[in-house]
Amino acid sequence: MILASMRNVSKVFTDTRNGRGLVALNGIDLDIKEGEFLCLVGSSGCGKSTTLNLLAGFESPTRGDVSFKGGKVNGPSPERGVVFQEPSLYPWMSVLQNVMFSVQGDEGKERVAMEYLRMVGLDGFAASRPSDLSGGMKQRVAIARALAMGPDLLLMDEPFGSLDEQTRRKLDNEVLRLWKDGGKTVVFVTHNIEEALMLGTRIVLMSASPGRIEKEWTLEPGWPRDLSSPSMVMLKGVIIGMLQACACANGAAPARLVTIGE
Amino acid sequence: MIIKSNNQIHNQGDVIPEGDGVSRDEAVAAALNGGKAQFEFRPETARLMGKNAWNAFLGILVVVLIWWSVAEAMMFLRGVPFPTPPETFHAFWQALMGADVHGEGIFAHTNASLQRWGQGYLIALVLGLTLGLAFGTMPRLHEVGMVSVYVFQMIPGLAWIPIAMLIFGLGETATVFIIVMTAIPPLVINTAGGIREVPEVYTRVARMSGKDDSALFMNVLLPAASLSIINGMRIGLANGWRVLIAAEMVVGVALGLGFSIYQSRYSLDFTASFVSIMVICMIGLTIEKLLFVSMENRVRNRLGLDRED
Repeated sequence: MILASMRNVSKVFTDTRNGRGLVALNGIDLDIKEGEFLCLVGSSGCGKSTTLNLLAGFESPTRGDVSFKGGKVNGPSPERGVVFQEPSLYPWMSVLQNVMFSVQGDEGKERVAMEYLRMVGLDGFAASRPSDLSGGMKQRVAIARALAMGPDLLLMDEPFGSLDEQTRRKLDNEVLRLWKDGGKTVVFVTHNIEEALMLGTRIVLMSASPGRIEKEWTLEPGWPRDLSSPSMVMLKGVIIGMLQACACANGAAPARLVTIGE
Repeated sequence: MIIKSNNQIHNQGDVIPEGDGVSRDEAVAAALNGGKAQFEFRPETARLMGKNAWNAFLGILVVVLIWWSVAEAMMFLRGVPFPTPPETFHAFWQALMGADVHGEGIFAHTNASLQRWGQGYLIALVLGLTLGLAFGTMPRLHEVGMVSVYVFQMIPGLAWIPIAMLIFGLGETATVFIIVMTAIPPLVINTAGGIREVPEVYTRVARMSGKDDSALFMNVLLPAASLSIINGMRIGLANGWRVLIAAEMVVGVALGLGFSIYQSRYSLDFTASFVSIMVICMIGLTIEKLLFVSMENRVRNRLGLDRED
């Protein structure tokens, strides 16, 4: 069953001041199946985050359609929870208040928020401020917040990109556990191929200039994955090889544009 | 109590228990000898406050010394009766005891000025915050509206005199008008700027959580911009206070600190002017340091910005 889909989606950013444009995505077709753990990989500038922002509804496509549960995506909604790469907790709220802020409905907000904090092992820090937490803990709160919205689709934009290797691995396993227990659908953006191999039921490789889908692989379920197994080593080699063939990996990274079109 | 270090969190259990009573040196030694990673000690607030007070005193001393040497130099080179610090302090003391300063008691001058300033600032606060919040949330309005704000900001205090006279004639209203006009621009600029600089991810979190505009404004934009807003309030307050002398040129009554400073042009009683300047500085500094520093600290604390060390 298809939960969300992108049909012939293009996204163009234009910098009106300098008269420059960037085609971030050109003609993307992507179906997200219910219950899958989809990893979007690719080097920076290949449109992974743009794809995620389109699915979330933060941005609208220049051409094509993004749909969710059969309806057109018209802006963000609690049905699609996002975990951002950058710090996104409100520093003036406690950990609990941050999660409660996103809980839907009017009643039992605190109970629901505590439940999800317990799920990520941080119920003991409900009264703390985000500034009292380490980077990894902040991201765990952000995950609790996204889950507490009760979304059908969890969108994660390089959520552990700024964490150290050990913490990232720990949190990867935690995300995996939450996904298996909760039956959510996850779209996980990462530039870390090993991370994608460890987690995903499907890996979609994107390439840049302009951003498009290069290739995708479906992986056998079964975790923890053994990355030293011959099939995994081979797959990793193939993906790395394709990444290096991509234009943006050869130093031709497109300039970042700030102004958004329209 | 949680202490942050190297991205690792320890709760109270890891902290050396003998917290409050131990001095810093003892606690450091105990931690090094005991192989502890984190420890607590008696905060040295009294010593810190003493240090700050001493530094403030040294700073004031520098001001007085500069003033004094300029005064001596001017008397020597130009033969003018430049009031020295001791003369001024003496006159200030006598003014406090009831001596006249340009025809009125120092308290009457101060009271009149404070009232005009308070009225002007209050009006500026209402207008400036409203405009700033509107500009901050509506980009089109910001682009159009900020032009006039920047123009107003460039008009020097004295230049408002003819404008105030043309609109209101001489009198209290003209004075209050000048204070309002000089206090508004920083309020608008900082309020609008603070809201516009709220990180996009904060807005996105509110949007995906299904919050409407008013919830976004109250729960996210306002707290995120509050430090910048306070900064605008502080600059606006200082602007309005500093423009007093210009504003009171059109007051039409022989009352006010600004009037008293300006009056030395005719009376040649420069010491009386210096007393008024001193009072203006003292009141300005007191309000800035006592009111705004504590307000900013409280907001910083509420925003969770003060917890890193």
